[in-house]
Amino acid sequence: MQILRNVFRRKLRVLLTIFGITIGVLALVVMGSMAEKINLLVAGGTRYYSGKVTVAAASSASVFSTQPLSISKLPQVKSVPGVAEVSAGIGTLLSTDASTSFGMPAMIEGSDMRGQDLESFKVSYSQGRALTSADVGSVVVGADLVKKLSAKVGRFVTIRGEQFKVVGILDKTLTAPDSSVWMTLPDAQRIFMQDVPEMLRSQVNQADLATSFVVYPTTGTAPEALAKAINLAVPGVKATGPSAFQEEIANSTRILNAILYGIALISLIVGGLSVINTMTMSVSERTREIGVRKAIGASDGQIVRQFLAEAAVIGFIGGVSGLILGWLAATVADALGQASGLTLFLVTPRLAIGAVVFAVVLGLVSGLYPSLHAARLKPVVALRYE
Amino acid sequence: MSALVSGVGIHKRYVLGRDNFVDALQGASLEVEDGEMAAIMGPSGSGKSTLLHILGCLDSLDSGEVWLGGRRVDALGRQELTRLRRKEVGFIFQTFNLVPSLTAIENVALAAQYAGRGNREAREAAREVLSQVELSDRENHRPTELSGGQQQRVAIARALVNRPKVIFGDEPTGNLDSASAADIVRMMREINRETGTTFVLVTHDPEVAGTCDRAIHMLDGKVTPRVARSMTPLRQPGEAG
Repeated sequence: MQILRNVFRRKLRVLLTIFGITIGVLALVVMGSMAEKINLLVAGGTRYYSGKVTVAAASSASVFSTQPLSISKLPQVKSVPGVAEVSAGIGTLLSTDASTSFGMPAMIEGSDMRGQDLESFKVSYSQGRALTSADVGSVVVGADLVKKLSAKVGRFVTIRGEQFKVVGILDKTLTAPDSSVWMTLPDAQRIFMQDVPEMLRSQVNQADLATSFVVYPTTGTAPEALAKAINLAVPGVKATGPSAFQEEIANSTRILNAILYGIALISLIVGGLSVINTMTMSVSERTREIGVRKAIGASDGQIVRQFLAEAAVIGFIGGVSGLILGWLAATVADALGQASGLTLFLVTPRLAIGAVVFAVVLGLVSGLYPSLHAARLKPVVALRYE
Repeated sequence: MSALVSGVGIHKRYVLGRDNFVDALQGASLEVEDGEMAAIMGPSGSGKSTLLHILGCLDSLDSGEVWLGGRRVDALGRQELTRLRRKEVGFIFQTFNLVPSLTAIENVALAAQYAGRGNREAREAAREVLSQVELSDRENHRPTELSGGQQQRVAIARALVNRPKVIFGDEPTGNLDSASAADIVRMMREINRETGTTFVLVTHDPEVAGTCDRAIHMLDGKVTPRVARSMTPLRQPGEAG
């Protein structure tokens, strides 16, 4: 194609320009895929918490609480009108050496498994079966923890120094369950006791331990209203409806999103400046040619379109190569992160298309000024240019 | 009037800086008949190329009139000028001015494309004109793969492809050896006779002038009546009027 021939007239220069855009798009794809993964977790989390009310200890600071809550409060909560079922649960960190992670930390979730039929967030199993309250000493492992724990159905895994038998492995949910291990409530209570300072252990009743209740509303009851009702009726607890979770999740990701996309945008702008530079030089070097084209009948519009097309092609090639490299980087990073349960990158179709489109638009915008300048040259002046 | 091209009292001044200017044309007037092949000659600085560019609508004038085909063209807007360059006027240059990244046939087709013809049609038209200038076997060569004479033939083909009424040439043989120059002149004469296309050529080359129907002489920015000069200046390659 003629456009390609014109673009690659000065091979080294145009390759360097394309490289500039490639790097910008690479940054956009990598950062963007982290943001996409986070957005997905947010969406998953939103679904996870919708339709439920979560009750935690009154002293808990955030909605994600690991403060102890007494099970004795359960009947009180259940008696509030609009409550269909209440399930007690314990959540605690899978490993006590808390390593930093961007996403959710790996958790142990123990539950008395009441109200399973009312649970709107359905999970499926890639291997094995679901846990029942009779499965003391057994666990179900979330998709992202399989490699880290070397989990296989029928075999044992070590959790907090104890052996548990794996009865099931969850399909990927793209939210909390992926990085969780599920067990019965008594098992979780025992593990939780390890976290209680030795001095206080005698004061705590192990069988009474929980960190949160899941409250399932009756059909027709709004979760937010129910949360308010519970807070009024039952002292010493804090009930939160789904919107509070969604708020909290969204808040923490909003800033991260802004930072990630901000970095990517800056590198893309640098790429854009590179295109402006190259196109300006190209126009300058081809001043005479532009004069000739106008002399043989090119209109201003045709000249502009010619140079814009070249700029768009530069953007497109840079965009596609940046996308391919970014996708490779994300895939490799995810594969390496499988072992520690940290898959942070997700290249979505909308990110891929968006990145290439953005690169083309960047090329067009950057090429606009040089193209317009080219079009305004007077033929006879341009022809005299050496 | 049957004159195809006429310039009336054209003035053109180039301002080069404060108080520094050149009056390239000082009331130049001429007429070229339809179907004529005319040469414009004169010493350096006489304004030949400037006049040619103005007549060919590549440059603007300060005052005066330019008429092409019975229509006044010196005050046309950009769109009209573009249309003129596509359909009515062809131009060839001393330094050929082919687009270096395009092959011969693509260079010629380009002019047809700018005139609105589709890719295939333009290529066909280009092929036809290239055979007229006897370059069919070099269609797919780039300018760097062609000799000077061959490049100028491509340029002639390009000027011809949209069947203009008049072709203006600025020292068309200026960069050619005598053999190629003679070739080009012969070709232009043939085209003029076969198609009736008018040619207006600025030249230093007595060969070219000799082949033309008429020689128009210029001095100091004006057209002069033919004065018997003992020597026409030697052709100096690379010199524009």
